[in-house]
Amino acid sequence: MEKLLNPEAWHPEIDIKAYRFDNGLTLLVLPEHGLPIVSFQVHYAVGSRNERPGITGISHLFEHMMFRGSKELGPEEFSQVIQAKGGEVNAFTTSDNTSYYENLPAAHLELAVRLEAERLVHLSLTQDNFATEREVVRSERKLRAVDSPLGLPLELLSAMAYTQHPYQWPILGWDYDLRHLTLEDCLDYHRTYYNPANMVVVVSGDVEPESAQEMVGRYFGTIPSPGPSPPIRAQESPQRGERRAIYKKVSQVEAFLAGFHVPSLKDPEIYAVLLLAAILGEGKASRGYQRFVRPGQAIDLEVHLPPPPFAYQDPGLLLIIGLAAPGQPLSALEAEVWQEIAQIQEQGVTLEELNRVKKIMRAQYVKVLANNFYRGLLSGMMHLKIGEADLINRIPDLYDQVTLTDIQSAARRYLTEDNRTVVIVKPVSEAENAALGPVD
Amino acid sequence: MTESARADYLPAIYKNTLNNEMTVLGVEYDRAPWVSICFMAKRGAEADPPGKGGTADCTAEGLTLGTQARDQLRLAIDVEGRGARLDAQGHWDYSVVILEGLAEDFAELMALVAEVVQSPEFPEQDFAYLKGRRQAELVHLQDNPREIANRCYYRLFFGASPYGHPLTGDLQSISALNLEDLKSFYHRQFHPRASTLVVVGMVPEATVVQEAARCWSAWSGGASPTPPYQDPPQTLGQPGIYLLDRPALTQSEIRLGHLGLQRPHPDYFALRLANYILGGGGFSSRLMTRIRSDLGLTYGINSHFHFRRAPGPFVISTFTPAPHTAAVIRETKTVLAELKQGGITAQELEDAKNFYIGHFPLGLETTGGIAQQLLQIDLHSLDLDYLKNYGENIQAVQLEHSRAAAAQHLHPEELVILVLGPAAVCRPDLEALGPVTLVTES
Repeated sequence: MEKLLNPEAWHPEIDIKAYRFDNGLTLLVLPEHGLPIVSFQVHYAVGSRNERPGITGISHLFEHMMFRGSKELGPEEFSQVIQAKGGEVNAFTTSDNTSYYENLPAAHLELAVRLEAERLVHLSLTQDNFATEREVVRSERKLRAVDSPLGLPLELLSAMAYTQHPYQWPILGWDYDLRHLTLEDCLDYHRTYYNPANMVVVVSGDVEPESAQEMVGRYFGTIPSPGPSPPIRAQESPQRGERRAIYKKVSQVEAFLAGFHVPSLKDPEIYAVLLLAAILGEGKASRGYQRFVRPGQAIDLEVHLPPPPFAYQDPGLLLIIGLAAPGQPLSALEAEVWQEIAQIQEQGVTLEELNRVKKIMRAQYVKVLANNFYRGLLSGMMHLKIGEADLINRIPDLYDQVTLTDIQSAARRYLTEDNRTVVIVKPVSEAENAALGPVD
Repeated sequence: MTESARADYLPAIYKNTLNNEMTVLGVEYDRAPWVSICFMAKRGAEADPPGKGGTADCTAEGLTLGTQARDQLRLAIDVEGRGARLDAQGHWDYSVVILEGLAEDFAELMALVAEVVQSPEFPEQDFAYLKGRRQAELVHLQDNPREIANRCYYRLFFGASPYGHPLTGDLQSISALNLEDLKSFYHRQFHPRASTLVVVGMVPEATVVQEAARCWSAWSGGASPTPPYQDPPQTLGQPGIYLLDRPALTQSEIRLGHLGLQRPHPDYFALRLANYILGGGGFSSRLMTRIRSDLGLTYGINSHFHFRRAPGPFVISTFTPAPHTAAVIRETKTVLAELKQGGITAQELEDAKNFYIGHFPLGLETTGGIAQQLLQIDLHSLDLDYLKNYGENIQAVQLEHSRAAAAQHLHPEELVILVLGPAAVCRPDLEALGPVTLVTES
């Protein structure tokens, strides 16, 4: 087959065929025939933002439970069956969605469609496998949060930055809640959120749209739906003044973690904030690297805001995490980072800086389009979060439209002291750590 | 897609040898206007001088600190201003400089890689900064239990042999490094006769060959590289249980392993399949089924043969809440022993084969994925038809062969076991399994 090797002739438009079934289910098909593979994805509109105190972590725990058996399959057999056809299986939970996917040879697409529908309708859980999986999740929490260098300080940061919105608790949940969740809680959750009106199905890869429509319709089209799930009514009030805390732990380094409330994915201003974050922290030409990391004042200066489609559905936090190099005072590092931001607020950034990060965003966008899985995630999660999958084709333009003034305005509006929450990681000895009590 | 087109999705690899004997390998790629340009010097951290662990990796990063034509900031702006990304690392057996970016910038990107590799400046000020950064990162790394466990394990295992130190060195070896060490490693190990350029992207072969010749033919490198390291280590750590005490941790990190095989080995495919069944196949593996799914003792467990130019380690990695440490080790050893004793079933082997064959095209979606395959093909002198024959090679493994490979190459009685965790919680149960030796990080 002759290859098209002219970059100028390449058109990045993603062709998305959208279908809606009578039971409220949405299907997005992204045909691409270069390789005989396909990504099948099921995204449910439920994440930690749907939880409430007492059942934190249930979205993520339930994601695990979806692999623990159905009428047709025993525990973890779902993964085994798909893997035995050359597929890879996984799932992830965020604050806004719970997503399951199978990347596999296109010839076995129907198997993935059938099994995803089967476990949606015929999930079969027992008290025993619930108890086993809960311990697995608690081990995961220890791995990712409790024993990780910055896991618990990050949890404290969110808990302080949000006083009303569910983004205040961790996706992994509090350990106390995990220990007290019941199988019945999980089954309730399943009944409330796992239904055709609360999900989007994506088929991305070597498939004809009509064939995908027929196949998904056959397995999912007749599943009854109670209708859309209850909406989330929480909204965070504007922050009125800096919030600050200390977290003591055994640590070799001092660190500060700061969170600033920023716009949600559906707000076009987020593209200016994303570019501002990149000017501060993306690449070796960034301000953060050149001023703090290269000369050894900071071990790392991370400026993090997830890009589409991972950006938050409701207003999220832009994180700045500074790790002071040994012997370098943390207070000076933090103060100088705020000075760097103040300089942007007063003088703006240069056109060269803005063009650099715009080109990085465009290049990263082009790169991921080669991957059926990411194309599927982009369309599915954008549909779920803002109801507009087609927006993915406008992402490069939305970055391109950001001006120097937009960057300066975003810095002035969002990276302010009053909108800031800071956690200081203070190293303590093993003895002092033990005296502070157990962590979980 | 037609059936005939479907049959030729496997990438055709082209090869060219430049006047200076440097190899160019490439694949034309049309999924996105993207290109990966990878320079590989076929010597890596195994060639670090004694006591100077981290030399190869620091040398690789040192190349990105500026060239004779542009300083580090100009270089960063010229790379990132094109939306591209430059990475350089030392690995076991090789070092790489990788530049990925938009295919429309191919000629400029190729010239940049050539400039970085052929005319590094090694500026004193930036070397001092690099050293400071590396030391600070190593201090921070002590807060990461998984990393500490890995680093400690390989030292325990390989001792003073070439794979025994951490890739990025340790505080002592980095302190001992000076700029001359980097220059010396560069002049010795970066040579066209022991280097390969891999290009995968939306660029025609003719253009790649032309630009490669233009940018690289005049490069002569330094002295002749050291002979490649490919022998088994002279001495190995003694089997047994070693405990590194970390009182503040709630979980133990556990590593169990023994010496594995070199990449060029006739049992390679048979052993990969056996390892998939043991612990390489995620939820399809016996270890995951037993330790996670049945017992709920961990979030993750896997086993891996690190196939290198010389025999690399075979390692099982996991973690568990500290009170379960001994139970996890006991169960893991049992699963390993069962597999060794001829337990592989025909169905398990069939499933493992189907996974590797069916999954294969998923690795061909990105330029980076294909480039990694080409680097391995070249490093280990595999056939240029390797990708085309991959499925046949997997399919050819018979049940008896996989069982024999498991029996011959798995050694549950010779495990070097490291536990990093709170000794007060896990030591008593560990001692019921055998003598426990307390170790420190150094």
